[in-house]
Amino acid sequence: MVLFAIFCPILAAILIMVGAPARKTALAAAILTFAAALILLASFGHGQGNFQHVTSFTISPEWRLRFTTGIDGLSLVMVLLATIVTLAAVWFAGTIERYENSFYACLLFISGAAIGAFASIDLFFFYAFHELALIPTFLLIGIWGSGNRVAAAWKITIYLAVGSFILLLGLILLYQSIPPGWRSFDIRALTVAASLGQIPADAQRPIYLLLLIGFGTLVSLFPFHTWAPEAYASAPAPAAMLHAGVLKKFGLYGLLRLAIPLLPEGARYWTTLLVVLLLGNIIYIGLVTIAQKRLDWMLGYSSVMHMGYIFLGIASAGILGVTGAALLMFAHGLSIALLFALAGELRRRTGTLVFDELGGLAKVMPFAGLAFGFGVFASIGLPGFANFAGELMIFFGAFKNGWEMGAFHTFQIATLLALWGVVISTVYMLRAYRKTFMGILSEQWKQLFDVGPALRVPVMLLVGALLCYGFFPQSFVRVVAPTVRTYLTASRR
Amino acid sequence: MNFMLPWFILLVPLFSAAVITLFTRRWKALSSAISVVAVLVSFICSCLIFAHQSIRAAEFTWIGIDGVFQVPFGLTLDQLSRTMAVLVSGVGAVIHIYSLGYMRDDEGRSRYFAALSLFMFAMLGIVLANNFVMLFIFWELVGFTSYVLIGHWFYRDAAADAANKAFITTRIGDFGFMLGILMVWMATGSVLFAEITPRMSTLTGHSIFLTVLALLVFCGAVGKSAQFPLHVWLPDAMEGPTPISALIHAATMVAAGVYMLVRVAFIIQASQTALLVVAWIGTITAVMAALIATQQNDIKRILAYSTLSQLGYMVMAVGLASNEAAMFHLFTHAFFKALLFLAAGSIIVMLHHEQNIWSMGGLSRRLPITFVTFAVGALALIGCPPFSGFFSKDAILALAYERNAPIFAVALFTAFLTAFYVIRLFVIVFFGNPRSDVARESRESPPVMTVPLIVLAFLATFGGFAFFARNFLPLPVEKGVTILVPALAIVALIVGSGLAIALYRNRAADPVNIELLRRKFYFDEFYSWLINWTQELLARVSAFLDRWIIDAGAVGGSSRGTWGVGALLRLVQVGNLQGYAFLFGLGVIVLIYFAVFR
Amino acid sequence: MITLGDYLIVSGILFSIGFAGVMLRRNLIIVLMSLELMLNAANLSLVAFSRFRLGPSGLPNYNAQVFVFFIITVAAAEVAVGLAILVALFRARHTTDLKDISSLKF
Repeated sequence: MVLFAIFCPILAAILIMVGAPARKTALAAAILTFAAALILLASFGHGQGNFQHVTSFTISPEWRLRFTTGIDGLSLVMVLLATIVTLAAVWFAGTIERYENSFYACLLFISGAAIGAFASIDLFFFYAFHELALIPTFLLIGIWGSGNRVAAAWKITIYLAVGSFILLLGLILLYQSIPPGWRSFDIRALTVAASLGQIPADAQRPIYLLLLIGFGTLVSLFPFHTWAPEAYASAPAPAAMLHAGVLKKFGLYGLLRLAIPLLPEGARYWTTLLVVLLLGNIIYIGLVTIAQKRLDWMLGYSSVMHMGYIFLGIASAGILGVTGAALLMFAHGLSIALLFALAGELRRRTGTLVFDELGGLAKVMPFAGLAFGFGVFASIGLPGFANFAGELMIFFGAFKNGWEMGAFHTFQIATLLALWGVVISTVYMLRAYRKTFMGILSEQWKQLFDVGPALRVPVMLLVGALLCYGFFPQSFVRVVAPTVRTYLTASRR
Repeated sequence: MNFMLPWFILLVPLFSAAVITLFTRRWKALSSAISVVAVLVSFICSCLIFAHQSIRAAEFTWIGIDGVFQVPFGLTLDQLSRTMAVLVSGVGAVIHIYSLGYMRDDEGRSRYFAALSLFMFAMLGIVLANNFVMLFIFWELVGFTSYVLIGHWFYRDAAADAANKAFITTRIGDFGFMLGILMVWMATGSVLFAEITPRMSTLTGHSIFLTVLALLVFCGAVGKSAQFPLHVWLPDAMEGPTPISALIHAATMVAAGVYMLVRVAFIIQASQTALLVVAWIGTITAVMAALIATQQNDIKRILAYSTLSQLGYMVMAVGLASNEAAMFHLFTHAFFKALLFLAAGSIIVMLHHEQNIWSMGGLSRRLPITFVTFAVGALALIGCPPFSGFFSKDAILALAYERNAPIFAVALFTAFLTAFYVIRLFVIVFFGNPRSDVARESRESPPVMTVPLIVLAFLATFGGFAFFARNFLPLPVEKGVTILVPALAIVALIVGSGLAIALYRNRAADPVNIELLRRKFYFDEFYSWLINWTQELLARVSAFLDRWIIDAGAVGGSSRGTWGVGALLRLVQVGNLQGYAFLFGLGVIVLIYFAVFR
Repeated sequence: MITLGDYLIVSGILFSIGFAGVMLRRNLIIVLMSLELMLNAANLSLVAFSRFRLGPSGLPNYNAQVFVFFIITVAAAEVAVGLAILVALFRARHTTDLKDISSLKF
């Protein structure tokens, strides 16, 4: 079932490239993959922290290459996220004027790569699947993008390639630092080795730093974030949805899956640095976002900003904070996908996303206004949406770290600043909403038509998922918390 | 059934909001009907729960990680919350019915009623929540629905900006509130009110910590109840439809801050400093708002500032460590303020949306029912016996007299100002000659609007009497009752009213012009200036830094550097074959040297 | 007696002449010839080593001489290809002067 989820999009992509009808095949593949994820969700056994649905094929015994896939609580929700966003992205793509087949093929490759990366238990394929997604992103932005698309495509690809390279360096050093008897690419074996203290503490520190920078670049951690806004602004909406919604989470997932369990000493050593950087994300990037004058740039910067919260949850190194981070990863993916989808629709109709040129659009596009409003309020953490539940857990988890009555230490100050970040995000999001959809409608936009009934389905899907986990976050926590608990207790030994 | 009944109070309006949003948006009359039915069901359930004291509510876990964090969703059903539930759903029901008339011709009626139902859900959630997190959730939702309703006529710039201002200002208050909740959780290990209360008493000796904690929790009330310095959103919120101003910004949402303070009074009472701060902020708000109100010309703005002032009184009472007085005033204020706003709405709609009092006049003859009910509300507001406002305001004044003389002096002065501006409003609007055509041609409102007015007028009249109020609230105990306080209050009342009548009888324009008050102490200008020079400046600097230093500088620099090195190295390729061969040979010699002789 | 050293000196001189020719001559055909000279210088020294360094059994080590055959073959093949390229180049550029063949510039 897991293999089906991984290879269905890839197979569909290949079929499209050889000539199958692009939109129909892509849609069918996306629906099937989503169904597969739902089946996995339903058949998941709660309460255990280990991997389920594991399949393994040996590719090369001498090089210890085994294609192993499986899911545990954390990867299950990531796979679910990937399938939902894929379905929404494919649905939103509509008809493409040029090279439609290649467009859909690229989308599906990205999707398959993301699912594969999340579901891999083998280190080699984990990295390889992520690399698979780089070139389709390049093509999508460079060929079908808008604005300064070619430069943006080059920037994102080379920047992420450099980040991946640093990551690779870190992974190689990690592998080398394990004594030969314990070496394996299988993540489970590595976790066992780490929990038995096989990775020496002073080796952990530089390796963790490399992994942090590598994964951090992939997630736009400050200061390695400047690829994100221009790329998302120039990308076509489905590509932005997939990248900001799903691919970015790969780096965070990698930190949670590899860096924390395997290198706990390294994580402890670099905590302060991580906290400083993530506050850069939240406060500094938050301020930059306020100054933006275009919707696409604002959304790009805002996605960078929200990564700071997830990093805070991860840095808190407690089950509460990390579970919150996982929930926020899921929720943010959905909400940013929704916002980018609607921004793309706006750009398609009005040709511009500059705030001063828009205004009052809710009168002619009520459904889009409502949906965008949902997206905006989800992003700023309104209760009822899953984002709030995630942020709440992150705040509580981070505040708890290093608590001492009567004094504010690193994490308490960090939580305070992060809370102020919520106010900052409210300012820019509401300002964007007000400038785009509220106020006086200018003459040139009076002829616009609203989002059609066909496109309302993916919107409702995204909003529905956000509301579902926002109202009942325990259903999410139940799935993820045992996994996180296993990791943290293993690393604490 | 018993376990679910309290939940129905919450869930029926939520269900109504969902149904209207998803299905019945096109059929406006049906949407309105659904919403009204929902709130009536809520009201009936609230009354049932009020009557049967023994009902308990079911609970479920919202987030639970064993041993680390537990957030249940449960309802607290003590006398305070039952009373508030009845109050909120009752006043809400009255206003729903009034809205049927007021919003009859509005295009966005379905949207309005959906948001109104959602508001009922959220407000009742605040009142019934049994833990801090649940309270915070509904707190934020109330802010959200207020945003939607203030911005109901979103195609008007003023409304859109007002909605933004309201939400952002209350969010700033929520920032402090959340920080306070985090500190409470760390100090006591729980978020449930029932568990925090006993544990807080063990935390003695950390006085600075407790003060900070209390003040942070108070921050939430400062934002939501529009106390100084976060009061600037409430007057602008008058851009929303008048029933909304009545419901949200007079009777319920702004009262939520006071309710919260009463619910967690034990936190604030743990620190004397905090109590003092709370009391003074309430007092400052009360007097400042009253001063501003004396110079305003929009009927809704005057009432808005009056709300601010009365909220200041309630907060003052909390700061003087009497929850009973605060709740009593909240209770009576809900009735007479809602009444005043609805009556104002009746005037506004019958005068075709004219809101400037200097365009009104002589309406006592043209809108008689509105006139009488407004008079009742006004008299209650200024604290004239035997109306309800007299009893509750008197309780607070007595408290201040007893515990803090400076505050008493200011509060008395505020009572004088209250009488002044209310009678000013009353005289200008209802007496004299009509000053404009719309005033001349106005008629009384239809029954669907006047009946709610009459209902509220009854409550405003009789709500203060002990025999009525005692069933709902613990009344403030008056120790050593002197006749001095009520006497002083009545004197202030008479002086204020007299002055207003003397100044404003038969005038065509305002004889008094105090620019400072008219411009609301320049708070809006100050805040704009502040935001411009901090947030906007920082934002522009950061954006510049990001675009040109980090991006063009570092990232662009490394890419340009790579290009540069490549360009340099390219110069080696001169195209001269023999040159290449020479370098080749040189390289071989070097290799041989290193291989053989090293 | 002519010793190993003498042969090596001759080989070295031949190699240097060849190397100098490759570096300094402008005519492509002369360059090719110099290249051949370098190869043959190497051949000479290989054969000299083979003849003068006797193995343990008193017989010369014939590996070197076999290697010389390889070099001759390769040299022949290389000359064939080289001259073919030269002819094609001449047909395109109408010159064999190395100064005029520099399109591999930056």
